Amino acid sequence: MGQRKRAAIRDSLANQIMDGITLGHQDSPKHNICMVSDFFYPNMGGVESHIYQLSQCLIERGHKVIIVTHAYGNRKGIRYLTNALKVYYLPLQVMYNQSTATTCFHSLPLLRCVFVRERITVVHAHSSFSAMAHDSLFHAKTMGLNTVFTDHSLFGFADVSSVLTNKLLTVSLCDTSHIICVSYTSKENTVLRAALDPEIVSVIPNAVDPTDFTPDPSQRDDSKITIVVISRLVYRKGIDLLGGIIPELCLKYPQLHFLIGGEGPKRIVLEEVREKYQLHDRVRLLGALEHKDVRNVLIQGHIFLNTSLTEAFCMAIVEGASCGLQVVSTRVGGIPEVLPKELITLCEPTVSSLCEGLEMVIARQRAGTVPPPATIHSRVRTLYTWRNVAERTEKVYDRVAKETVQPLHRRLHRLQAHCGPVAGCIFAFIAVLDFLFLLLLQWLVPDSVIDLAVDASGPHALWKRSGNRKHSV
Amino acid sequence: MTEDEFTDINGKAISLQCQSHSNFCREFTVSAPKLSLRRIMVYTCSVWLVAYVVFFFTQNTAVLSSAIFITLVGMMLHIHFVKIDHETLLIVGSLGVQVSSSYASGRESTTFIEMSKIKDIVINEAIYMQRVIYSLCILLKDPSDPGAVSTVVPLFQSSKPRLNCLVKVYRSCQEILAQC
Repeated sequence: MGQRKRAAIRDSLANQIMDGITLGHQDSPKHNICMVSDFFYPNMGGVESHIYQLSQCLIERGHKVIIVTHAYGNRKGIRYLTNALKVYYLPLQVMYNQSTATTCFHSLPLLRCVFVRERITVVHAHSSFSAMAHDSLFHAKTMGLNTVFTDHSLFGFADVSSVLTNKLLTVSLCDTSHIICVSYTSKENTVLRAALDPEIVSVIPNAVDPTDFTPDPSQRDDSKITIVVISRLVYRKGIDLLGGIIPELCLKYPQLHFLIGGEGPKRIVLEEVREKYQLHDRVRLLGALEHKDVRNVLIQGHIFLNTSLTEAFCMAIVEGASCGLQVVSTRVGGIPEVLPKELITLCEPTVSSLCEGLEMVIARQRAGTVPPPATIHSRVRTLYTWRNVAERTEKVYDRVAKETVQPLHRRLHRLQAHCGPVAGCIFAFIAVLDFLFLLLLQWLVPDSVIDLAVDASGPHALWKRSGNRKHSV
Repeated sequence: MTEDEFTDINGKAISLQCQSHSNFCREFTVSAPKLSLRRIMVYTCSVWLVAYVVFFFTQNTAVLSSAIFITLVGMMLHIHFVKIDHETLLIVGSLGVQVSSSYASGRESTTFIEMSKIKDIVINEAIYMQRVIYSLCILLKDPSDPGAVSTVVPLFQSSKPRLNCLVKVYRSCQEILAQC
């Protein structure tokens, strides 16, 4: 165990040195990147960790990265994270579900100030649920900056709310330089929803930190079979299916145990099932888990079960497989692309199909024909790494930096031609207003009186050279 | 004693006066330009114009006298409570920091912070109105936990100099703080 860890450290060091050498040789352009999303730590979730890990790897590759998000309670102003990653918590009003209210205009003064003082060249917005991300794309295009957008989720086409969001997404993405999706299914979905040219959409999957999710078979009790479920307990994650599976399998297999981590409105469903079938000793609900505790729960299990009804890219199953568990999952969204066939058992999103799949894996587990956890881990650890993600994202930035941003008249033309007669005209009008507002701001506070920020990361970083001469509060 | 010209965050000219009384005692004065006659004229004229329009429709002379009254009181309040001409930071090694601001009317307000309470003087980034600016701050120690910071006292709050001016003051302050 210790040896493996040391080897991992040695590997990563070797990588760093290699990176350093390659950086020295090839003169790749360095970008000033601004990540914008409503979702960042202290909020927890997939988007948050994606932004954090990607930023860290880009800093390692010599780029300057800052993150802009909205204020979380008392956490407002400017903070620094590991490796001088600078985070702006802007005091913008939160409206619903940690997403800010959007008026298209009110965030321009602050965002402009941040973009100017940090000399941003690429604005990278994350998540289509985040109003701030769309606002920043809109303003960045008005200011003539290159834009990249990463979509983290899948949407439907049928109900009213998704029709409306799809329209907004069409408007927001119609003149964005490049779009990144996390899986091919997600790309297909986004291209259809936002009526995009597939040429400007790239697929870069998410990653997991393999050193965080190492297997430890000594932690699990081999006298029984434990199924682990870790997800938010909401409808989208298929918790109703889970409620159907538990009693059926528990009746058949007396040595079967369930370990369920996560919190949410559907917890009541699981509690009812547990009550009704008297399964208190076999179904444990752990409640909300912190990220650092996830591994400790995963290594106690034999089988990882994912019952999602829709998923763009499922990080949880990669984490499960990385801990050496057998993965059983529904065949929805981008999940079939995520893991190679021999590491995952795919089922239809119905109770009977999932039970069948689980029974098959239980039988294999009992017969002892499953590969040992260490073998699974060593397969998974090379599949998705953040360094690889950062490398591929860097290529997108390089490509985007070469493109010229469309001037206002071309943008207006494109909006009207691309987004339908009504929405196109409305948003063309808003784009003009935004441009006029920007002119007003440039007259009130010219760019020359905005102090350029001291670089914390990137090629001109002061941080490393002078240690802790500058303090952050 | 040296005097330098800088600008504040809105691009207006301000001057920084550095006075070195001794090795461990320095004084920094940031002076904003005096109240300009033009601004006073503009404000007065606009108030009076409005008053005349109202008077034209109501034919009530009380409007005019109240306009005169409003301008006078407004001007007095402005120079007494709002308009700050000089902001001074006097730092004496091993003793403390004195921060004073003198208003246009001549009124002065002064605070003194003992050196034992000061943890450090830093340049901090803050969100101010609709902008992100740099400001010089004193960090005060938390009496219960000496390692932690209890309060942040911003300096030069009315003149708001730009970064190059702040860096100059910061460097001199750090020299003195390093001695004690």
